[in-house]
Amino acid sequence: MPGLCCALDCSTEDPVTGLTELDTHWLTEAVRLREEHAGPLEDQEANRHARQHGGDLAARIEHRALWLAERDGMVLALQHWKQGARLAILALLLLALLSGAGLAFAALGDGQHSVNVFWALGSLLGLNLLLLLGWAIGFFLAGERDNGLGRLWLWLSERFARDAKAAHLAPALLVLLQRQRLNRWLLGLLVHSLWLLALGSALVMLLTLLATRRYGFVWETTILGADTFIGLTQALGAFPALLGFSVPDEAMIRASGDSLPALDLARQAWAGWLIGVLLAYGILPRLLLALLCLWRWRQGRARLLLDLSLPGYSQLRGALMPSSERLGVQDAAPDALPQFQPSAHENGSSGALLVGLELDDQTPWPPALPTSVKDAGLLDSRASRNRLLEQLSRFPPARLAIACDPRRSPDRGSLALLAELARNAGATRIWLLQAVPGQVVDAARLSDWHQALDQMGLPHADTAPMNWLEHGHD
Amino acid sequence: MTEPLKLAVVGHTNVGKTSLLRTLTRDVGFGEVSHRPSTTRHVEGARLSVDGEPLLELYDTPGLEDAIALLDYLERLERPGERLDGPARLERFLQGSEARQRFEQEAKVLRQLQASNAGLYVIDAREPVLAKYRDELEVLAGCGKPLLPVLNFVASSQHREPQWRDALARLGLHALVRFDSVAPPQDGERRLYESLALLLENARPALQRLIDDQQAQRLARRQSGKHLIAELLLDCAACRRSVEAEPAAEAKAIEALRRDVRQREQRCVEALLTLYGFRREDANAGDLPLLDGRWGEDLFNPETLKLLGVRLGSGVAAGAAAGAGVDLLVGGITLGAAALAGAIAGGALQTARNYGSRLLGKLKGQRELTVDDGVLRLLALRQQQLMHALDNRGHAAQDSIRLNAPHDQTWRQGKLPEALGKARAHPQWSSLNPGARVNQAQRQEQLAALVQEL
Repeated sequence: MPGLCCALDCSTEDPVTGLTELDTHWLTEAVRLREEHAGPLEDQEANRHARQHGGDLAARIEHRALWLAERDGMVLALQHWKQGARLAILALLLLALLSGAGLAFAALGDGQHSVNVFWALGSLLGLNLLLLLGWAIGFFLAGERDNGLGRLWLWLSERFARDAKAAHLAPALLVLLQRQRLNRWLLGLLVHSLWLLALGSALVMLLTLLATRRYGFVWETTILGADTFIGLTQALGAFPALLGFSVPDEAMIRASGDSLPALDLARQAWAGWLIGVLLAYGILPRLLLALLCLWRWRQGRARLLLDLSLPGYSQLRGALMPSSERLGVQDAAPDALPQFQPSAHENGSSGALLVGLELDDQTPWPPALPTSVKDAGLLDSRASRNRLLEQLSRFPPARLAIACDPRRSPDRGSLALLAELARNAGATRIWLLQAVPGQVVDAARLSDWHQALDQMGLPHADTAPMNWLEHGHD
Repeated sequence: MTEPLKLAVVGHTNVGKTSLLRTLTRDVGFGEVSHRPSTTRHVEGARLSVDGEPLLELYDTPGLEDAIALLDYLERLERPGERLDGPARLERFLQGSEARQRFEQEAKVLRQLQASNAGLYVIDAREPVLAKYRDELEVLAGCGKPLLPVLNFVASSQHREPQWRDALARLGLHALVRFDSVAPPQDGERRLYESLALLLENARPALQRLIDDQQAQRLARRQSGKHLIAELLLDCAACRRSVEAEPAAEAKAIEALRRDVRQREQRCVEALLTLYGFRREDANAGDLPLLDGRWGEDLFNPETLKLLGVRLGSGVAAGAAAGAGVDLLVGGITLGAAALAGAIAGGALQTARNYGSRLLGKLKGQRELTVDDGVLRLLALRQQQLMHALDNRGHAAQDSIRLNAPHDQTWRQGKLPEALGKARAHPQWSSLNPGARVNQAQRQEQLAALVQEL
């Protein structure tokens, strides 16, 4: 019985919060269910606390949940719930105690009549064995489903708790235990302990009655022979006999069947047999099963972890243990970027020049040119830039056309070069090449070019300005 | 705790430096991304941590735009007869006045790279290898820090990867990584960090931790996503409405059921978006499913189902268009079998009680409305596609998710998973039904089974 009472409590309590590890898991699960049910809680402060607290993700989630549970009174509700659960256990224990005593009393009667041994045995063990069988069938067939008595206990403890905040506590416990398949062991522990208590109380009552009253034991039959009873009695008594309980010998059994037994020896033998059978087939199996359940429960409880892959938890990762955080601006943006102003060369001499800027190998170059227009080649590297600028500053052309590929981005370097070239010519036009077949020009990028060129005041077109180059007008 | 590794993300303007940062940090709101050049004009950092321990700091820098002129200028900084090495020359440049004027942006980049352990040089692989890029690399090399070229936009059909590889090799940069920040390859981050570890031997343990953590998180996200989808399917499969057998009431109930299922699906979509670190507004703005393209089509429209190749039971076609109102005369029999199976499986009392009330409803002439198998398959397909798309989507992506035609035969036709069949017999499992008990142990059991199957 002490095993049961402390089953929920006896793991080490945290000295600060007074909560066991199981309680922490439980509250965490309850907070998760609550958030799943009613939407996310306001958790800024809780998250901050959890982040400061550190540890791995599970620890942070638990910290956050405890903080929220404390704030919203769920910790108190949990304590109430546990109190309720304890009260419910107490009530069940009392019930078990009384019904156990009642069993023994019903089995033996008031001593006015002699006791029919097999009736007595049936009323002592019959229900127990029937329910044990039911439990075993449920255990093996139904799997994880909670059985009647367990459900009754949960229901009772909810009634006793009488706290709206506890609404998610019971489901949370079930979900939590379900994950490690612990429900059946805990509830099995409860069931077997209660039966153990009931049978124990029956045993005590039995001993008291046998000690203080005189009972005669008989067996009766209408259609069966005496041998059947002799065999049955001895078969049942064989195992208790190993434990040192007496078994009535054949003569005694026959005598008990015939008439009112008078021998004290026979009474004592029958009483010993009855107690032995109750111990061996009632109390011992329940004790062993209770111990098994207790062992499995403790083992499982140690393994109890949060399932971090649940959506309710994995969504918290970002807030509690972000794998990435922004560090903010380290080096602020300037107020303005440098601008380039092309101003036409006043005394551009004669001549027309066409030059290509950073064209790739897919663009055929140079295009067919009238004889009066000279091709200045392609500008790409620093050397080619410098060469052209050198040449232009010496012989500034009247008209300069620069072919640009609008698939490149209009970066500052290119714009600065355009401006510098324009400053070395009488008039400058930009020819934004059309896409070569099979490729497309990004409209957004084209509009970037337009914007940049408009800002610099350079005229631009998407057709070759050959006429203009050749004649100075369109 | 050791200092986190610092990386400067550098490159020409408009090559996707901020996009790369968004994808690596899984942060859709980092910085500003646009087609315009010089969108980023400041240096902004982000930190990657594992188990709360910062391991990597990434710095987004302005684009280099004027490298040719800068290199020219740097070379002229050397006084006659003087030989300066790269860092010394840069030091002189950074102290001069041009570092605050014409080359202010370039100076920011160089300062940040100098303060970092290494640089990621982002390349728009669609660009030809121009002289200015070579000059950029030369300027950057002056910082004396290892550079790892990252080829962005390699998913584009116009990329010029071979030319770039060749050009980089000529410059002595043999290690490089392909990483499309919009459609990052599954193992893209791992490769990037592994290549970095080759350049920075000391940082290998930290980078390995980062790789492991990201793999673990990817798996965890997938698991969570499956959980969300399983919840949706279970909710829809278990959903059941009892309706008066008259046309007006039926039509109304059908409409209500449609609406509820669609809203439930939207919730799942939003949860998946949150899980994968995408914005909820993206969906509302019409960027993401359900509102545009195929997603916007009516869930219960038989055409949509056909389009996706989901076989519609011919007998239920009319009712199925609504989500299968099952005539109770027929439904009574089939559902009876299902309920019986459920009753055998467990919870006998509850099921019996349930079944009793439904029999009573039948006697009163009520019909029951549930969600059709085809609709369930469609939901499963759509959500799985969405999850797959999110899994492979970079956080820099700005267009909407395109969905391929579903190919998973198991969902298209044939039997639904057993868990859904069971759910049919348990209306209390569906959060769409009143009096739902979603935490029932049995439901959790089936949920886990369904997650396994997805």
